[in-house]
Amino acid sequence: MTPDAISLRQALLHADPRLSRFDPLPRILSFDDFDRGHCGWSPLVGNYEGSLDTLLPGYRELTGPMLSTLSHWDGGSHGSYDGSYALKLATRPKCDALSVGIKRLTFRKACPVRLEFYMTFKPEATEPVLSDRDVRSVGFLFDLQVGDRVGAGGQRVMPHMRYLNSSDGVLQQKWQFKRRSPTFQDIGDGAETVSHFHLDDNGWEDLPDGNQRLCYNEIATKVNWHYVRFDFDIASMRALDFQCNDRRFDVAAFDSIRIPAMKNLWCMLNVALFAQADTDKRTFFYLDSVCLSGDF
Amino acid sequence: MLRESSTSVITRNEIWRGDSASEPIEAGWAREAIFFVRALRPAHGPLAQAFAEISPDGMHWVREGSGITLPEQQDAVVALRVSHFGNWLRLRTVLPDRSEYAVLVTVHLK
Repeated sequence: MTPDAISLRQALLHADPRLSRFDPLPRILSFDDFDRGHCGWSPLVGNYEGSLDTLLPGYRELTGPMLSTLSHWDGGSHGSYDGSYALKLATRPKCDALSVGIKRLTFRKACPVRLEFYMTFKPEATEPVLSDRDVRSVGFLFDLQVGDRVGAGGQRVMPHMRYLNSSDGVLQQKWQFKRRSPTFQDIGDGAETVSHFHLDDNGWEDLPDGNQRLCYNEIATKVNWHYVRFDFDIASMRALDFQCNDRRFDVAAFDSIRIPAMKNLWCMLNVALFAQADTDKRTFFYLDSVCLSGDF
Repeated sequence: MLRESSTSVITRNEIWRGDSASEPIEAGWAREAIFFVRALRPAHGPLAQAFAEISPDGMHWVREGSGITLPEQQDAVVALRVSHFGNWLRLRTVLPDRSEYAVLVTVHLK
């Protein structure tokens, strides 16, 4: 783009109340304002063959997204960042329980992509106490695979990042990534389907200088929205940058789960958001909005 | 503008025994809901009813409307319609001793 075109684009973005709080790359792949519905965010259903009984244990109890007005017993509807509705992931009321929302796309160019969203998280307000250690973590991941002409050595790459809020009742408040490859298992009797559970609690590593205290607020029903940005280059399959609120983090040490390319996932561009409970209370993870953009 | 419509699976291949319920769902954007309950395997034990519940906060629940008899045969489906429900919805049952159902519960909202 010419300098004039860049300036014009920037001015248009800044004048649009929906996009002004984002910094998208030149092409917006999706902008999910949940006042327009679920916008393609669906539950993560694990792989199975023949019967749901063949799901790996980690996938059996996953819950999926819904549209929420952040309704609370003491204050009524909190509302979303902008409008009435946010996307909500709610775990079961069980320690270790997970909830996942996933958006499934493919890419037309292996290029840098940028995931931006505003998020907040809280435990279900089942008791009138601070409850700041009931949420274990919230996080996001990409699930990517090279195009079908890349040839030998092509990979499926899964960058994971989570905010570990609390673990076994102790505040942690730090960002973590995961690069340990999980074990694949055959599913069913047909020898056509495999599965791996990559969201378990094992294998997470601390992001260097990744400690960050967020705005939890003072009771379980007050929420504040936080900005998150993650840049990843699909061409080199490397993380480029990561930001949460006023902090930018060095991602030189970040790496991803890397697996040999699979037979039916070419050009996959999946984005997932997830939350996990640290106690027997539901964890709620809210998003409004989510912007995915690409540099092409 | 086209009307919003969505389908959510709120119980997937769970074994219901005793006092059991789906996970709650916020559905304040919708005007009507239909629960479908499908038996994934033949039911065991005496027949039982399921009923919709509504809530002011997702934590305290009150029964809404009449119930439906849970399906006995594998892949049999029953439906329960609900309207004017506010925001929170779930499906609940209280099964007699020795009863057991493997269910898939979906709620269709628009």
